[in-house]
Amino acid sequence: MSRKLQNIAFKTFVCIAATISIGVLLFLITVLFWKGFSAISFEFLISDSSNFGSEGGIAYQIIGSVLLTACAAIISFPLALGFAIYKSEYIKNSYLQNLTDTVIYSLNGIPSIIFGIFGLIFFVNLLQTGVSWFVGGIILAIMILPTIILSSYQSINSIPNSYRENAFGLGLTKWQVVKTVIFPRAVNGGFTGLLLGLARAIGETAPIMFIATAFSGVTIPNGLFEPVRSLPTHILSLAQQATNPSALENAWGTSLVLILLVFVFSISAFVRRLQYSKNKQ
Amino acid sequence: MSASQNNIGKCYVLVSTYLSIAIVAIIFVVLFLSSYDAFANIGWDLFSLEWNPSKDKFGILSMIYGTVSVTFIALGISVPLGILTAIFISEIIPEKYRLYIKSAIELLAGIPSIIYGLIGIAFFSAWVSSFFELPTGRTILTAGILLSIMILPTIVTLIEDALHNIPKKYREASKGLGLYQFETITKTLLPIAKKDIAGAVLLALGRALGETMAVMLLIGSIDRIPEPFYNVLNPGQTMTSKLGREIGESAFGSLHFSTLNAIGFLLFLIVITVTIITQLYFKKERRL
Amino acid sequence: MKKFLLALSIPLIFSACSKNNKQVINASGSTTVLPVISTAAEQFMKTHSDVKIIVNAGGSGVGINQVGAQQIEIGMISRNITEKETSQYPKTKFTITPIGRDAVVPVVSSEIYDAGIRSLSINQLAKIYRGEISNWKELNGPDKEILVIDKEAARGTRHVFMEIVLGDKEAQAAGADLVLGANNEEQTAIVQSDAALGILSNAWMNKDVKGLAIIMENGEVIEPTLENIVNGKFPIIRDLDLVTNGEPTGITKEFIDYILSDEGQKIVIKNEYVSIAK
Repeated sequence: MSRKLQNIAFKTFVCIAATISIGVLLFLITVLFWKGFSAISFEFLISDSSNFGSEGGIAYQIIGSVLLTACAAIISFPLALGFAIYKSEYIKNSYLQNLTDTVIYSLNGIPSIIFGIFGLIFFVNLLQTGVSWFVGGIILAIMILPTIILSSYQSINSIPNSYRENAFGLGLTKWQVVKTVIFPRAVNGGFTGLLLGLARAIGETAPIMFIATAFSGVTIPNGLFEPVRSLPTHILSLAQQATNPSALENAWGTSLVLILLVFVFSISAFVRRLQYSKNKQ
Repeated sequence: MSASQNNIGKCYVLVSTYLSIAIVAIIFVVLFLSSYDAFANIGWDLFSLEWNPSKDKFGILSMIYGTVSVTFIALGISVPLGILTAIFISEIIPEKYRLYIKSAIELLAGIPSIIYGLIGIAFFSAWVSSFFELPTGRTILTAGILLSIMILPTIVTLIEDALHNIPKKYREASKGLGLYQFETITKTLLPIAKKDIAGAVLLALGRALGETMAVMLLIGSIDRIPEPFYNVLNPGQTMTSKLGREIGESAFGSLHFSTLNAIGFLLFLIVITVTIITQLYFKKERRL
Repeated sequence: MKKFLLALSIPLIFSACSKNNKQVINASGSTTVLPVISTAAEQFMKTHSDVKIIVNAGGSGVGINQVGAQQIEIGMISRNITEKETSQYPKTKFTITPIGRDAVVPVVSSEIYDAGIRSLSINQLAKIYRGEISNWKELNGPDKEILVIDKEAARGTRHVFMEIVLGDKEAQAAGADLVLGANNEEQTAIVQSDAALGILSNAWMNKDVKGLAIIMENGEVIEPTLENIVNGKFPIIRDLDLVTNGEPTGITKEFIDYILSDEGQKIVIKNEYVSIAK
C-alpha cells in the first residue's frame, strides 16, 4: 500500500475511533440529561421519598449527601494543608520525602470499597460507633486527602525560593514566612484540590454504603452517630428495581441531581485552575 | 510570642503529616489483622474454586478470575480506543477546539460509578443479551464493556496531555523529512510518549481493578469460572463485587468475615503495587 | 474562602446542636419484611413525634448480625436463625416475634408462564437448581435455556426455599446462572429475561413475574394463593419475624406492639402478606 493511502487509512481509523469514544460519551451525557430533566421537578427536590424510593422526591438524600461532603471537607482540608506545608517546607531528608510520596500515592490508589471495609471494621465494629454519617464523612475525608495535598503542594512548590530567602533576610522567623508567604498559596491550591476531591466524594457509593447510610426513616440526623440517606445509595436501591418505570424515572432524576452537584464542584475547580495558569503567564 | 507561634505552627504541620501517615498505616494494619484468621486457617486453600461459607469452604479463585478478565476486557477496549482518540484530539483537530473537547472529557471522568451502574442495568445488559441472544445480559463482558467506558476519559486525558506536551519541533522536523502525518505520529510521537502512555494505562488499571458499584450490579455475582474459561458471555464474580454483596451478611469476627477481608487485603496489595510502580515510573518527570 | 468554610460548617453545627432527645429505633434486615416495617414506622412516627425509626435493608443475614453485634434494636428476618449465627453471638439473647406470614414462590418470566408452564413439582425444582434440567423443553415448555436465578447465601427467601427443595437451607445450587440480592433486584432480572426462573416472596409477583403452583407428591396442584398460605397448604411458607436482643422493652416494645395491633396487621395485609392475627 502506498504511503499516501496508508496515511489516509490511518486518519480514517483515528477518526472512526474518536467518533466511537466521543459518541459513547455524548450518549451517556444525553441520556442522563434527557431522562433526568423529565423526572425532575421542584416537588421532587423538596419532598421525602416513599415506597422503596419509587415515589416522592429526594430532599433528605440531598441533605445527607451535602452533610457527608461538608464533613469530609472540614476534616480533610486542614489536615491536607498541614501535610503539604510540612512536606514542602520542613522535610529535608529524601527518605521522608519518599515516604510521604508513597503515602499520598497509596491513599490515592486504594479502591473505594476498601475504605468502606476499613470503616466497617475500624469504626462501626471496633469503635462501636454504629452506622453514622460522621464516620462516613471521616472515611470520605481520608479518601480525598491525597487530591488536596497534591494540589496544595504543587501550588506551594511553584513559589520561587528567592521569595523565601528574601523573607528570611527581612528577619522573619520560619513560621512567619510560612504564615505570610506559604500558607496563602497552600490554601489557594488546596482549595482547587478540595473541589476536585468533593466532586469525587459526593458520588461515591462503596465507601459509605455499609457505614453511613440508611434506607428510610432518616431525616436530619440528631447527632453525630446517626445514619443519613444519600444520593448515590438512593440510586443503588433504585437501580435494583430498574424495570419499575416510576423507580427508574426517579433514578434518572436522582442521577441528574447528583451529576449536577459533581459538575458544580469540578467546573469550579477547572475554572480556578484556568485562572491560575493565566495569572502565571 | 513569635517563638511560641513558631512552635505551634510547626506542631500543626507535623501532626497533620504524621496523622496522615498513621492513617495509611492503620488501614494497612487493620486490614491485615482482620484477614489474618483467613490466611492462617485457610492458607493456600484460598486459591481454590469452591465458595460455601456454611461448610467453611472459602475458595476465591473464581473472583480473582473475574477481576482479571473484567480488567482485561476493559483495558483491551479502552487502551486502543483511548490512544486513537487522544491522537485525534491532539494531532488532527484544530487547536482551538482542543480545550473544549478535553474539558468535556475531563468532566465525564467525574461521573460517579453508581450512575454507570444504572445506565448499565437500564441499557447495556439488555443490549448485550439481545445482541448475543443470551438468557441474561449480566455477564463478564457487559461489566468489562461498561468498565472500559468508565476508564476511557482518564486514558484519553492523560495520553492526550503526553502527546500535546511533545514540543512542536519534532513534528516540524519529521514534516521536513517528508514524512506523512501517520508516520510522524507512529514513528516519532508515540515512541516519545511511550512512557506516559504506560503510566496512563497503569493508572487506568488501578481504577479498573478497584471499581465496585457498576460491576457489582452488572456481573451476575456467581462464584464460578465459565466453561471454557474464555467464554465471557457468562456471569461471573469479581473481588470487589463479592465484597460489595457479602460483607454485610458476614458476622464480624467470623472466618467468613475474615476471608472477605482477605479478599480486600489482596486487592489492596495489588492496587498499591500497581500504584507504586506507576509512581516510580513517573519519578523523574515529577518535580517533587 | 473562609465564607465558604463557614457555610459548610453551619449544617454540621446545626445538626450537632439540635440534639433533641428523640428516641431512636434502628431496624435492619430482610427486604421481604422491609416494606411492612418501613410503612409501619412512618405511621408510628406520626403519632409518636418523639420517636425516630431508622430502617435499613440488606437481607436477613445482615439483620441477625447487627442485632447480634448489638448495633441495632430490631432485626427483620424472613428465616430461622442458624446455629452458627447463634453461636457467633453468645452475649446476645435472640428473641423472635412473628409479625406475619409469607410464601416463597418459584416465579418465572411471563413468557414462560404464557407458554404453558404453570406448575412444577418440588423434584423438578430441585433438578433445575442442581443443574440436571437446564432447558424449558424438558418440562414441556419452549426450547429455551432456563435462566436459573439464585439468591445471596444469607437471604431469608433462599434459606426457606432451599430447605424444602434441596433439603438443606445452605445447599449450593450448581444449576444457578445468576446470584442476586434484594427481591427488587431479582424481580428486575426476571422481567428483563424471557426464560428466567427465580424465587421470590409472594408479595413481589406482578404481571411480568408470575408465580408457579407446586405439584405435591400425591399429584395435587397447590396455587400460591393467600388462602393456601393461610391454611398452610402451600408447601413453602415462612413466618416474617422481628428479632430483638432479649424481650423488647420500652419504645421498641411499643413499636412491635403497634405492628401486632389491628392497625399494624392491616399494613401487613396491604403489603400482600398474611396477617398472623387469626
